[in-house]
Amino acid sequence: MIAKMFNWVNDRLPIVNTFERHLSKHPVPKKVNFWYLFGALATIVLIIQILSGIWLMMPYSNTEEGAFASIEYIMRDVDYGWVIRYMHTTGASLFFAIVYLHMFRGLLYGSYQKPKELVWLFGCTIYLVMMAEGFLGYVLPYGQMSYWGAQVIISLFGAIPYIGESLEVWIRGDYYISGITISRFFALHVVALPLILIALVFLHLVSLHEVGAGNPEGVDIEKFRDEDGVPIDSVPFFPYKVLSALPAMGIFGLVFCVIMFFFPEGGGYFIELANFEEANPLVTPEHIAPVWYYSPFYTMLRAVPDPLGGLIVMAAGVAIFFVVPWLDRSNVASIRYKGVYSKLAITLFVASFITLGYLGTVPVTEIGRIMSVICTFLYFAFFLLMPIYTSFEKTSKVPDRL
Amino acid sequence: MNIKLVGRINLLTLLIAIVSLFIASSLFSAEGGPCKDYGPCDEFQPELNNLESLQRGASIYLNYCYGCHSLQYSRWGRVANDLEIPEDIFIENLVLDTGVKMGDLMVGSMDKELSKEWFGVAPPDLTLVARKRTPEWVYTYLRAFYEDSSKTYGVNNLVYPGAAMPNVLAELQGRQRLTCKDIPIFAANGGEKRDESGNTLTEEKCGYLKVDANSGSLSVDEFDSFIFDLTNFLTYVGEPSRADRERIGTYTIFFFIIFTVLSSLLYREFQKDYH
Repeated sequence: MIAKMFNWVNDRLPIVNTFERHLSKHPVPKKVNFWYLFGALATIVLIIQILSGIWLMMPYSNTEEGAFASIEYIMRDVDYGWVIRYMHTTGASLFFAIVYLHMFRGLLYGSYQKPKELVWLFGCTIYLVMMAEGFLGYVLPYGQMSYWGAQVIISLFGAIPYIGESLEVWIRGDYYISGITISRFFALHVVALPLILIALVFLHLVSLHEVGAGNPEGVDIEKFRDEDGVPIDSVPFFPYKVLSALPAMGIFGLVFCVIMFFFPEGGGYFIELANFEEANPLVTPEHIAPVWYYSPFYTMLRAVPDPLGGLIVMAAGVAIFFVVPWLDRSNVASIRYKGVYSKLAITLFVASFITLGYLGTVPVTEIGRIMSVICTFLYFAFFLLMPIYTSFEKTSKVPDRL
Repeated sequence: MNIKLVGRINLLTLLIAIVSLFIASSLFSAEGGPCKDYGPCDEFQPELNNLESLQRGASIYLNYCYGCHSLQYSRWGRVANDLEIPEDIFIENLVLDTGVKMGDLMVGSMDKELSKEWFGVAPPDLTLVARKRTPEWVYTYLRAFYEDSSKTYGVNNLVYPGAAMPNVLAELQGRQRLTCKDIPIFAANGGEKRDESGNTLTEEKCGYLKVDANSGSLSVDEFDSFIFDLTNFLTYVGEPSRADRERIGTYTIFFFIIFTVLSSLLYREFQKDYH
């Protein structure tokens, strides 16, 4: 009976086909390392964010008078509202942490190289949409830092010549940040961008399954196949890779819960302390700092004295990820077989990115300004010099088998 | 060999990153702390399961602070319930307004416009003060008032210079003044400097708080514990679910440890298929 019903549905919907193609018969490299687990974890956090977001939406009030108070209402009067809210704030920070590690894996093992350019491009777009999504969500609690952070970010658009000022008004929907701004940011944060995000994640995965996952050796597993045409060095995604992700999810859940239940403010980095005060357009906070995941780019913005120049540098800092597949001229994918210059470059890149991130969270000083200029140069040098150092350095030979 | 090299490179990357972070943070940590002229804030470890302390804190708050400072996001009933104060005792002794219901928000009784006229600024709502400023700050601030005749109310505060608030607790604490005292001079190697006959060399430093003996109704220790209870209550009211949060958190951690162990064993079993 059940089998009959299943067959009836399966004749009209490709259930078995899809399951086999993308799970039980989808070949993935049998030997990868922990760097390859962050994609799965990012999917988990996306689900956490969507679910906790839906429940936060129910009691949240998207008005100028009610927004801040409704957050405290969630924290106090809604049963377990505090769990849902901390889940969302912790999830936001960890989403970025995981995506940064996921992107770093891509740079480390050349996950953008032919034929995976499109996978990389969809990924970069996801990151871009995430940045917008995070910013919009940060404004919604309408605390002091929400207000002043939004003020800083929106005024960036004002630096664009000719259309800048009208663009600012268009984004805010008002001459200053008001209830109108909150309700449109709310609509974008909970409907528009999540829809785009889910669509992009779908495309990211479909294109990945088309070209096949990579591995830390940069070996092409398609070269050697058994008599059924299955790559020898692969295992089916289900159940093997699903199982390998489970312990990672356990460790991730542990980290998530330690933060969520014991350090939800993350020392002021996950929830900024100034945001425990309602937005006040008349009082500027002593020190406006973005949340940690934007801070590297915020430092680049501050490193350039001219607002328009700063905006261009900051935008270029994000945009440059999109062209990485065409900057890397190396004949090997993995850092393991690349030459010493690539290794040096990626080390300096990481150091400069972390330093830029740190500098963005502290007030500007003279030394800080100089360091932010140096680190911005190092950051861009990693990308812009890539065509040179990857084509001239000596690489080692990649083995045939994994 | 290659794998080893990569391991080393990755480690090196991490090491350089951490070192650069430390260099950076040491360069920028020179700034003043949150407790301003007081120096580093005093330590404060909240005791959210100490109901007696929280009850005393609530009583102190409602008697001394609530007249000016509302707790507008908190509800009367929640406080009575969480602190296990019976409703009748709570209403009779702590809710000094007969018109309130237990489900009401603690919005305060002072007119915001009038108070702005009296103090220059309306006394802020304090529901979230311990979250915004940290409990350490609150604990230090409330003990850092000193007499300063140049100010409207005759007091100033080391933690919040120019604070607009009169020291309402002066009668309990007594008269606290800024004094100077002699402290030993330390040499570059960390040892005390001494003169030829072996006496410790000292220099006068100012900006220390000292309470006139017997000028208040509480001793210094009693006053500290009084402020401890008050700060403890403000920490509670800033996040009433915090004790619950930490209790539930412990279970989730046990769950994920067990989950990780079991799933690792399962993973290892399946791995045998292809290794």
